[in-house]
Amino acid sequence: MDYKKLGLKIGLEIHQQLDTEKLFCNCPSNLSEGEPDSIIRRKLHAVAGEMGDIDPAALQAYTKDRTYVYKFYRNSACLLELDEEPPRRLNPEALETVLKIALMLDSKVMDELHVMRKTVIDGSNTSGFQRTSLIAVDGSLQFNGLKIKIPTICLEEDAARIVQAKEKEVTYNLDRLGIPLIEIATSPDIQSPEQARDVAKAIGSIIRATGKAKRGIGTIRQDLNISIKGGARVELKGVQDLNSIPKVLENEIKRQQSEKEVKEETRKVLPDCTSKYMRPLPGASRMYPETDLPPIVITANKLSELKKNLPKLPWEQIKDLEKKYSLSTELASTLYNSAYFEYFEKLVKDVRVEPKIIASTFTSTLKSLPESEIELSYEHYRDLFKALDSGKFSKEAIAQVLESWLNQPDKKLDELVKGLGLKGVSKGDLEKLIEKIVVDNKKLIEERGERAIQPLMGLVMKEVRGKADGKLVMEILRNKVK
Amino acid sequence: MKSGSKIKVKTAKREYEGILMPRSELADEAHIVLKLSSGYNIGILKKDIVKTETLSEKAGKPKPNTVKFDKSKPAISLVSTGGTITSKVDYKTGGVFPYTKPEELLADIPELGKYVQVKAIKQPFSLLSEDMSSLEWAKIAKEVCSELNSGAEGVIVTHGTDTLHYTAAALSFMLQDLSKPVAVIGAQRSTDRGSFDGALNLVCGAHYCLSDIAEVSIVMHGSTEDKHCIANRGTKTRKMHSSRRDAFRPINELPLAQIFSDGNTVILNPEHKKRSNSKVKLDDKFEEKVALVYSYPGSDPKILDTYVKNGYKGIILAGTGFGHVSTQPIEKKFSWLPAIKNAVKSGVFIGATTQTFYGTTDPYVYSAGRLMLDSGVVFLKDMLPETAYIKLGWVLGHTKKLEEVEKLMLKNMAGEISERIDPKAFLY
Repeated sequence: MDYKKLGLKIGLEIHQQLDTEKLFCNCPSNLSEGEPDSIIRRKLHAVAGEMGDIDPAALQAYTKDRTYVYKFYRNSACLLELDEEPPRRLNPEALETVLKIALMLDSKVMDELHVMRKTVIDGSNTSGFQRTSLIAVDGSLQFNGLKIKIPTICLEEDAARIVQAKEKEVTYNLDRLGIPLIEIATSPDIQSPEQARDVAKAIGSIIRATGKAKRGIGTIRQDLNISIKGGARVELKGVQDLNSIPKVLENEIKRQQSEKEVKEETRKVLPDCTSKYMRPLPGASRMYPETDLPPIVITANKLSELKKNLPKLPWEQIKDLEKKYSLSTELASTLYNSAYFEYFEKLVKDVRVEPKIIASTFTSTLKSLPESEIELSYEHYRDLFKALDSGKFSKEAIAQVLESWLNQPDKKLDELVKGLGLKGVSKGDLEKLIEKIVVDNKKLIEERGERAIQPLMGLVMKEVRGKADGKLVMEILRNKVK
Repeated sequence: MKSGSKIKVKTAKREYEGILMPRSELADEAHIVLKLSSGYNIGILKKDIVKTETLSEKAGKPKPNTVKFDKSKPAISLVSTGGTITSKVDYKTGGVFPYTKPEELLADIPELGKYVQVKAIKQPFSLLSEDMSSLEWAKIAKEVCSELNSGAEGVIVTHGTDTLHYTAAALSFMLQDLSKPVAVIGAQRSTDRGSFDGALNLVCGAHYCLSDIAEVSIVMHGSTEDKHCIANRGTKTRKMHSSRRDAFRPINELPLAQIFSDGNTVILNPEHKKRSNSKVKLDDKFEEKVALVYSYPGSDPKILDTYVKNGYKGIILAGTGFGHVSTQPIEKKFSWLPAIKNAVKSGVFIGATTQTFYGTTDPYVYSAGRLMLDSGVVFLKDMLPETAYIKLGWVLGHTKKLEEVEKLMLKNMAGEISERIDPKAFLY
């Protein structure tokens, strides 16, 4: 597809949950399952918008005249989520996190923050509105030589989770209501579906660099805005998996090309990467001040304080890893994004094993093993590398040891290694062995010289694989051959 | 620059365009507020502003509403006194304004038109309910009386929730020979939001106004759900939570009725006056110099002397337990007995209620009560402290003779005294 010819314009809007208490109360940001502590049934009321009109999106939801059923769990919600209490304060930890991200994205933070009420009457907010605040404007992301503009960064509360939707009754779980969300919106500068995915990845990693991004399914949602020449702006809501962004966009392009008249609308993304009509695009008349909260002044001092302590951008952190631990870019990058990065950072302090070996254990060795439900603990890995360091086995045996340990995680490492017959070969024995092989293959060495080392290496390793370090073998062999 | 006008603001780094918003009382003087085209409000530091330009004056006016009530439906009236429930938010400014025309109310709560026509909205004043006094109660009673006697089947009084129960109690005494329903209604959530609880309250209030219950009742949510409202007798109800929509609970009795939005009414307590054709009489006499005093461990009884010196005619004590104050402390200065005796000698009525709200007072069970009784305190059965304060003001408006006052205070006029208490009433 020739995207330029199509006049393809893509904009991205990312919503990422923050791993702090809820935005306007002191509830933990947890999800709850099982029997709710109570079930509350409510109705919502259509409200006129700012200009005295009824907002079209709001009216549409209202005319359906539904009952909203809310599941309440006391370990994840309080009176605020039941719309029975005013908001307490804007969570300072969440605010600070968003301010840092705003600075990392080179944006202009507002002098004074105002929390707004944004009308929502599909029942996903018990109050009939979402609390949201514009934190910063005019940011940008330098990306592969391209500058992606980030016009707005907002901090807002997440909505209740839908459990079931019947014609006259919609059921929600209040656990998710109030979890802080950072919303980052790009201009429609993105030029291809693949680029959209990559920009989404980059923005996600910047948020994660603060250490306050919640992880797991449903903690990040991506909405896409797309238009082609002769079409209209369509919003595609709720892409959860980054990697399906290109497919979703391609399907939408195909749909727009096949329709006679493309209407401006909001569509819901389905699991098969197609989409279905959800509601009309919301108008601008839905926001008014949250008068229960005072405005928050952000001083220049506060910003310069934060600037001093900004986490490094992900690509900078990766470069640092490369330099500090002599890792390749690819290894450093995979390691940084892996779930074991924290373990790596601790292990390089606790054990005297080459960081490269530790890193690749996590990024490739583990992946090569058969899938296991078991997760080894930090202590397991620490003991593993300590044993490696003291020559109990060689690095080539790591895969074997891990695979075995994953099947019997409670077994002691010494026993395990013994059971695998991996007791290491001493340097003296190794020298004797190599000596023997060199002597046995004298003819080959005379014929090929240095090029005999490779095949001889193979012979030695056949004998000692897993019990001796390949590098050491190579070293001794080289010396002997000389 | 006037708020409401579209302006352009230039700082050293950037330009902003939007509608100028008024500044709230919570905010400082150093910033201005702009509403951007996205709808978001932002604050801009004044000292960073290099230039401003007005692009157009007051952008747009709210559209007027043209909906009308159906004249074939039964007629009720609305007396609006202010409060969240009958205020519209101006989305532009965040400012709050009262409804003045019945049509405005119908436009926002169209369900009302299914059941009633609101023939008049009277607005004697518009106040936060914590700013009200006996002067306001008299004004409200006058309007209600006039409407009831001129063809309204019932009257809804809309009111701030903070002191709603005081007004409901006052109306119960000021409207004599009450023959039709009066519903006092508020809202705990604002009208701007989809979860506005006032909508259900008003619809149920309208149903109450067409019912057979000739009492002043508070009609508000019965639970945190939007299932039903409860009609609670005005003299037996208190705001028991600062923010919950079901904050108003009856004390020492069950609600008079449960009312559902479709009009279905379940009578829970049949002990109420029934609708009749008699004319309602306004009796708004009220002695302003009455006080409500809490006693608590370590409290200084000299507060009574202060009131007496200042010409107060009656004091309601909200005592502990059965209505007790300190009578036999180790440090004599904490005993209330001298101050009580002094007040009674000066012709000031002293009545005892309990700060537990639930349960009844009793002078005989403990020595404290007996000592208080001997000092001239009148124990007021299970009357709520707030209701007793209101009733005392009303009674003293008619007579200052202590024996007469006592007789009238102990006469059950508007259900304020429970002859029998249902165990289910506790924490209903």
